[in-house]
Amino acid sequence: MKKLLSILLFTCLTVSGFSQSFYTETGTAIFYSKVPLHNFSGTSNSLIGLINFDDSTVDFYIDLETLDTKNAKRDKDMKLTLDTENYPYGEFFGKLTSEFDLESTAEQEVMVEGVFKIHGKEKEIIVEGTLRRDGENLYLKAGWILLLEDYEIVPPQILFIKVDQEQEIEINATLTIKE
Amino acid sequence: MSKFFYFLFILLFSAQSAFAQMERKRTITDSPEEVFLTMSLITMATSSNLAANNMNSTIMHNFGLVSGGLKDFWGLDNGAAVRLGIDYGITDKLSVGIGRTSREDNVDLRFKYTVLNQMKSGKIPVEVSIKGDIGINTQEENRFDFTFQERLNTFGSITVARKFSEKFSFQVAPMISHFNTVVLEVPNQQIEHTHFGTGFGGEYRLNLHHSFSFEYYVVLGDRTPGTLNPAAVSWQIDTGGHVFQIFLMSGEWFTEQHLLARTTDDFFTSDFRIGFNVNRVFGL
Repeated sequence: MKKLLSILLFTCLTVSGFSQSFYTETGTAIFYSKVPLHNFSGTSNSLIGLINFDDSTVDFYIDLETLDTKNAKRDKDMKLTLDTENYPYGEFFGKLTSEFDLESTAEQEVMVEGVFKIHGKEKEIIVEGTLRRDGENLYLKAGWILLLEDYEIVPPQILFIKVDQEQEIEINATLTIKE
Repeated sequence: MSKFFYFLFILLFSAQSAFAQMERKRTITDSPEEVFLTMSLITMATSSNLAANNMNSTIMHNFGLVSGGLKDFWGLDNGAAVRLGIDYGITDKLSVGIGRTSREDNVDLRFKYTVLNQMKSGKIPVEVSIKGDIGINTQEENRFDFTFQERLNTFGSITVARKFSEKFSFQVAPMISHFNTVVLEVPNQQIEHTHFGTGFGGEYRLNLHHSFSFEYYVVLGDRTPGTLNPAAVSWQIDTGGHVFQIFLMSGEWFTEQHLLARTTDDFFTSDFRIGFNVNRVFGL
């Protein structure tokens, strides 16, 4: 009986106490809308994310209210379009599908598959990026193209609004070992 | 034995939870309400301010009185006046601006400071801002030789506003205007250098792009004889990039100190003029 309990305790501690997971609350997420004469981008420096190498889960989200396009009026229109009152998060939850050598300090290409959710709609996506381990830090760079229509996001249809259907998403984050 | 299984269940459940999604927590838990669409209702400053590093450019335009009818095409043939202006948000609470009105070549410098923001949580129920404006009459004057000081006109107000619902916002603004020089146009005229007043104004939003606004200035205490309280109503169109305001106003001026002291037409007897404003905000 004691042996069984020891095994269980060890298993649980291995899973939750000594897991190889990295966490951030200060990552950067940027989107680029590229239409000639109407280029703009929005940035949030409040990307929250967790990468757990034990179960290969990758979990990231931002509060969409933190997105800043450097134009308060455009920010307001964007938040109305995204309906941030009802759907406050842009979020990804998935799994690492490529190998990553935690012992190496070299930049390694990685791939994750999972679900991205925004505006109350979700879609399975594959994201490619790079990870680099340096001591307690894990540096992440990733990006993908988001199609507004996939998430039923319809920009206001009026005179001067020009928003690209294809939004380029860029993620940069430094994650640290989660105790 | 059952205790053991219970313990086992808890352990396994705890372990399982390590694989689950993180709990989502809002980064921004409260933020200021957007009480008004623009920095001015029509001519009256709203409590709302520009965001930091945003620039608002404004073109204000009005014509002659519509009561002239077809003869002068409801005022469009005469009396046109323009104010061109820009404002810049130094911080989210402080903006400064400059403008020039074609009437008397008045160049005005202004600031607006937000003392309180109405918060979405209801923690602060009103928006409060103070505004100051100093104008300089730069028109060449043949009758007098004015000094710089004599050419100055000033204005100050404290605006208290509240967004009552997604549709409706209202504000009250105690104000004062002062002219260093006032000119007797009629002998023995009792003219005032200083006018006190209160401004009332509101905005009613029909939908995302269309809204109505109104403003009414009430002069309190002594006033220059023959002057009347200015009023205006406007239809606002928010196109995403611009906010257009098409309005009817009794005053000739766009600066509040002049409106308060020098309006002589009565809005309520149809002595008003057509005008329009174009507002455009740029991120710098």
